[in-house]
Amino acid sequence: MKQKLHRITMLLFMLVVQFSYSQNQTITVTGTVSDQTGPLPGVVVIIQNTATGTQTDFDGNFSINVNLGATLEFSYVGMKSMTKTILDSSSLSIFLEEDTEALEEVVVVAFGKQTKKSIVGAIASVSDDIIDNQQITSVATALQGNVAGVNIISTGGQPGENPIIRIRGVSSINADASPLIIVDGAPYNGNLNTISGDQIESMNVLKDAASTSLYGSRGANGVILINTKRGKFNTPTKVSVKTTYGLSGRAVDRHELVNTDTFTQYTWEAIRNSNQYAGGMSPEDAASSASNSLVTTLGYNPYNSSIPVGTDGKLVSTDKKWDTDWGALIENNNAKRIEHTLGISGGSENTTHSFNLNYLDQEGSIQTSNFERVTTRLSIDTKVNKWFKTGVSLFYSTSAQNFPDQSGTSFTSTVQWINNLSSYYPLYRRDANGNFIYDEKGNTIYDYGNNQGALNAVRPQYQGENVVGSLYLYEKQYKRDNFTANGYMHFQILKDLSFKTQISYEKYMYDFYEYNHNEYGVAASVNGRVDQDRNFTTTKNIINTLNYNRKFGEHYVNVDLIHEAFERNINDLGAQGVGFLPNVKVLNGSTTPEAVRGAFTDETLNSFLSRVAYNYKEKYFGEISYRQDASSRFSPETRVGSFFAIGGSWILSEEAFIQNIDQIQFLKLRASYGELGNNKTQDEFGDPDYFPYLSLYETGWNELDNTGVILGNISDTGLTWEKTASSNIGIDFGMFGQYLNGSIDYYTKTSVDLIYDRPLPSSTGNDAIKTNVGSLKNYGIEVSLRSNIISNKNFKWTTGLNFSFDRNKITELTQESFINGTKRWEVGRSLYDFYLTEWAGVNPANGKGMWYVDIEDAEGDVIGRDVTEEYADATRNYVNKSSLPDMIGGFTNNLVYKQFDLNFLFNFSFGSYVYDSSYASLMNGMEDVGRAAHTDLQYRWQKPGDITHVPLLYNSQNDFTSRSDRFLFKNDYIRLKALTFGYNLPKTITNKMNISRLRLFMQGDNLFTWQSHKGLDPEQNLAGTTDSRSYNLKTVSLGLNLDF
Amino acid sequence: MKNIINLAIISVALISFSCSDDFLNEPKPTDAVTENVIFDSREGVEAHLSGIQRFYRDQFRGADGSTDTGGMYSMYFVRTVKANDIIQGVSWFLFDYDNDNREPNYRRTIFTWDYPYYMINQANSIIQGLADSNLGVNDIKQLEAQAKAHRAFFYFQLAMEFQHTYSYDPSLPAPPIYTEMATEGKPMSTLSEMYDLIIDDLTYAVANLDENRLGKSYINKQVASGILARVYLVTENWQGARDAAISAYGGNPSASLNASEYGNGFDKIENTEWIWGSPQTNDQSNYYYAAPHAFSDHFADGYYASYINEDFRALFSATDVRNLFDETYVPAVGTEYKFLTTTKFKFAFDSDLPLMRTAEMILIEAEAKHRLSDPTAHDILFSLQSNRDPNAVKSSNTGAALLEEILVERRKELYAELGVEWFDAKRLRRAIPRTGNHRLPNSDLAADDPHFFLKIPQKEIDANDNIDASVNDGKNR
Repeated sequence: MKQKLHRITMLLFMLVVQFSYSQNQTITVTGTVSDQTGPLPGVVVIIQNTATGTQTDFDGNFSINVNLGATLEFSYVGMKSMTKTILDSSSLSIFLEEDTEALEEVVVVAFGKQTKKSIVGAIASVSDDIIDNQQITSVATALQGNVAGVNIISTGGQPGENPIIRIRGVSSINADASPLIIVDGAPYNGNLNTISGDQIESMNVLKDAASTSLYGSRGANGVILINTKRGKFNTPTKVSVKTTYGLSGRAVDRHELVNTDTFTQYTWEAIRNSNQYAGGMSPEDAASSASNSLVTTLGYNPYNSSIPVGTDGKLVSTDKKWDTDWGALIENNNAKRIEHTLGISGGSENTTHSFNLNYLDQEGSIQTSNFERVTTRLSIDTKVNKWFKTGVSLFYSTSAQNFPDQSGTSFTSTVQWINNLSSYYPLYRRDANGNFIYDEKGNTIYDYGNNQGALNAVRPQYQGENVVGSLYLYEKQYKRDNFTANGYMHFQILKDLSFKTQISYEKYMYDFYEYNHNEYGVAASVNGRVDQDRNFTTTKNIINTLNYNRKFGEHYVNVDLIHEAFERNINDLGAQGVGFLPNVKVLNGSTTPEAVRGAFTDETLNSFLSRVAYNYKEKYFGEISYRQDASSRFSPETRVGSFFAIGGSWILSEEAFIQNIDQIQFLKLRASYGELGNNKTQDEFGDPDYFPYLSLYETGWNELDNTGVILGNISDTGLTWEKTASSNIGIDFGMFGQYLNGSIDYYTKTSVDLIYDRPLPSSTGNDAIKTNVGSLKNYGIEVSLRSNIISNKNFKWTTGLNFSFDRNKITELTQESFINGTKRWEVGRSLYDFYLTEWAGVNPANGKGMWYVDIEDAEGDVIGRDVTEEYADATRNYVNKSSLPDMIGGFTNNLVYKQFDLNFLFNFSFGSYVYDSSYASLMNGMEDVGRAAHTDLQYRWQKPGDITHVPLLYNSQNDFTSRSDRFLFKNDYIRLKALTFGYNLPKTITNKMNISRLRLFMQGDNLFTWQSHKGLDPEQNLAGTTDSRSYNLKTVSLGLNLDF
Repeated sequence: MKNIINLAIISVALISFSCSDDFLNEPKPTDAVTENVIFDSREGVEAHLSGIQRFYRDQFRGADGSTDTGGMYSMYFVRTVKANDIIQGVSWFLFDYDNDNREPNYRRTIFTWDYPYYMINQANSIIQGLADSNLGVNDIKQLEAQAKAHRAFFYFQLAMEFQHTYSYDPSLPAPPIYTEMATEGKPMSTLSEMYDLIIDDLTYAVANLDENRLGKSYINKQVASGILARVYLVTENWQGARDAAISAYGGNPSASLNASEYGNGFDKIENTEWIWGSPQTNDQSNYYYAAPHAFSDHFADGYYASYINEDFRALFSATDVRNLFDETYVPAVGTEYKFLTTTKFKFAFDSDLPLMRTAEMILIEAEAKHRLSDPTAHDILFSLQSNRDPNAVKSSNTGAALLEEILVERRKELYAELGVEWFDAKRLRRAIPRTGNHRLPNSDLAADDPHFFLKIPQKEIDANDNIDASVNDGKNR
């Protein structure tokens, strides 16, 4: 960034000095460029007034052909540029001095740009070189481990899905707590996965009120500004090509499952135990009854023996007709990944252009899952005359995602299937004798577990489904097309006064298609089903900005007056039909329509904004901003919200008393306070709720031909803005001659009028009412450090460490407490403190699970605790464990040795807990027969007196695996998120090839994960609950960069 | 000069976007309507009633729900699998079959609480909306009568599912009563308060409804009478039960029965014996949720889960039209229960679901008359028996033996439809021992067994300030 801006400045300067020598004698000039540490590689050497230039090599040497009398300009990041007029061919020795003004970096902020020095808020940047070192399908993942205070959770291994993003804790309960995304100045409403990483110049995360307040009602959860690449004026057209090929697989191991033989014996034992302990049979009768009923209970028999387990509980024989490894059939551990990028950019004196084309094809960790995307972006900026500038950015992206279910509890949920259905059941249909059943063409048939027959016909689990069959016989595809046009006109009215109007138009087309087979599976009885949805979302955004800035002596004033109008129109259409011939998979082939649906939904937002920034001597900075929003999501009485912020900073290192300290080169204090809003109301499914204040009668509940409506969710007509007051204190520093740079921030965010679905007793007919319920405080510390450990001619090593401690606390509620799943919310507690029944282990006498129950005295005070075998009698308590991590962060290293470079990034999270319901299900101890089982069942109770933490296997309904802290696990992890190893071909070779760069590299993502609880991907969700999610991908790729 | 032009452009731009309230008021919901649309016309209120009717057969709570917690049909089927005549395989309703699915955090318990209350709130929405509407007096009465019948029907389900039966002790706590929409939880009521409300509502409904209705799934005078007849069986008001049953089916057994339709699959609401049912079409289907059809039909693509107890088949003569049993499978050691199935219910996505039939009302009349020592009771019973089996011979039973014969006839006539065996055992405080080729030994229900009812859901206790955890004390066996 710095370097590029510097080059722009330099080139602009060249424009001003418009003189040139006439065509003259050409000579070759060689030389060496150095600074105080020695020879300096990568110094740009350009002939003034031309676009011709070169760079110094690793020894600081350069060689260039020039006309005699021309002027060479030498420039390098952080160094003062230098010019030299060439009068003869003698070798040059150039010495560059450090440029203290280079800190004047420019940063994109809300509705404009500011110098880095003048920023009063908390802003973090991720530049294109960081993005370049990762293989990202959704650009937001590039923030993980790179920006302090940003919690990113990538759930699942479906490529193209976006991670959960939370900036500085979680300041909403039921309203959407994800940040606002702004692309090139306009709010982005499409899917983030449509943007490729190669198109991004930088991503800036605005964290505090001073930096986000101009986004008012949408800024409470932080803002991510994405700035795409644009051409530079007076730059020769550059073409860059990047291509990578890779392979992916699951990043961590799954839970360990027992094999079929063990499973069968365990099931026998569970039935025996039920017979004996629940049914009161004698041990002998219990065992023989278990042997006899084992096959009928399981429904299938893969063994050659009709009674596979004897009365001693041992298999008669381990010979089997089938043994199904569902994991191997469902997962794809050789998923390919291909990405190609072509970038062309450059600029003449008055016009710049930039074009980028990216193609990505990535398979997921589940068979048939993939994501294929083509995305293009074209930006043009032009200076029409002295007072008028204009530009446009056009973006088009199309993607197709084949998305088999990778979470949730539907029968086709793939990972759930692996963890829930035993290898005991066959993939293909078998007759009562265990032989294959073939279709009329002689092919095997997937077994859906719901066939007529007494044996090998009806499965106790997932009847009517076969996930492997569903992967290949069903289709489930999402297509997304996104078109954005974003244009601006900038008028310089007076020297100090300018006006800019920016209009952006975005059309997002979402196309969902699902086909269920006509002969097998869920829709077999109706000869197949096709379901399609085609939803258009159109957004228009117009921003008019009047800017005044002027310097009065040492005083500098900048004033913005802004109006913004936003409109979103959603147009949904869907249809569903059944009755298809084989291989006919379009609705035209349907004999019976099942459903049609459609709706229009609009949303508007109208806002007025103003901002005044002031500084004195570029040493003391102050900023104040105000915004008023009116949103259609609230009733006319409550829809207007006002938000303001104030901030200041002080460059201490400009003061004499600091300047005297040799160790400190730069020191800045920042402080800000402001209020922000959140209007992103959601329904119970997490979808946007555009009219949360209305109680409505929902259409569509027809009874045959009679129109039917039903009263929808109860609403609070007085529902209003959720507001967050944020304060931030920060310090930026550069020490020991720029050896160590960094920033430390402390923040608090107090959210009031939280929008929440307050639980109602369901006897009122409603589960919840959406209302403003209380307040919440998030606070924390963020630390970000960078260091140039080694910097010499051949070897450079820079490292960075960032981490944050984020805490969350409920400060007010309208009632004493709410129970919310595994949590209970009450004042003084976090939203994420687990509140559970406490597991008291296994009763050695009978093998049953026990839980703690509080003993209360007459006043109701707890005076002790006891254990109970009745789960319903047990007491729930805070277990002093939270699903929010104590600390998250990242650690980066960048090493360059001669032509080699190595870059790696670890991200980590410590102190959170996860409630592993997949493990609970695997430990269910054959309560539900036919389920897969975990190898930990080997520790089960088997006879009176056994001391263990795993209860007996029991084929009767029980509460052993009901929700308790038995399944709550510490979820610390460290992940080698990205590793890149590259080799640049030496200039001597690339020059001969007439190219400017050729780099070969190897990239690895998620190569290594250390985790405290195994079997799950450590990235689950904020609430610390699992949902049979697929795993993040481990990817290894080879690639090359070619620039010319 | 140029600057002036620029300023003009800016002014125009700014003015054009300093827009009016229209910009903000324009967005309106398009897939839902407001209260005044519903209560301004009879058609509007009827649409609301249609929505309620749809929820008898829908998939309650959509994606959050489960196949065994869909609608009224699920509640009926739970009662079926809890008794002795039907054997449920290892499939949905498994734990209901075990007679052990009643803890405060279980899906069954929560559904059996949430679903009736959801329906009651919808009915209250109509009753309250009508109170403020300017519709005609007759329209209001007829519409309110339907809403009250729905409300009574679901309070009746709650009363049966969450406490001992009425005759055990009417003063026992029963679930809370809401007669209007509320956001605050109410305390537990008593069985006698709840039955008073149920009977009041149904009496109002019977008085204000006539035979007319929008379709066979809607409530008219006959349906409301039929519900009342069931309620009176529980409260042991035999005159009331007799009169209500006669009002429900018309009082002429031969005219209201058609034996030839019994074997047609129980999937068509047009069946003349159906008083009330839930129709389905391919575009309005609950798919695989449809109990009992999806579970009991072993000749369609469903769950192949429900079997018939051999002992139950033994009650039927070969010429009985209801003897729809099929020896589908060859029983083996350990697979004894996988043997007999019934073809009574044909499963398809458009199978209609029965809610109430004339034969049930005839048998209520017979029982009530028997209790009232009316000598025609036996004739009424035989009118049904002879309709079902041309070779039927009238028994010589009297007194208690005749009552038993009526109760057996109820099981034979209504098996797998609405859990009649469980319903009778519960109201008459009898045990249900498991006999024959049952899958699960030792799952019997004793007389007055607490397993005849469910505990109060934990989430209600958590959210309702007026109910605490002690509500479930003493409910274990």
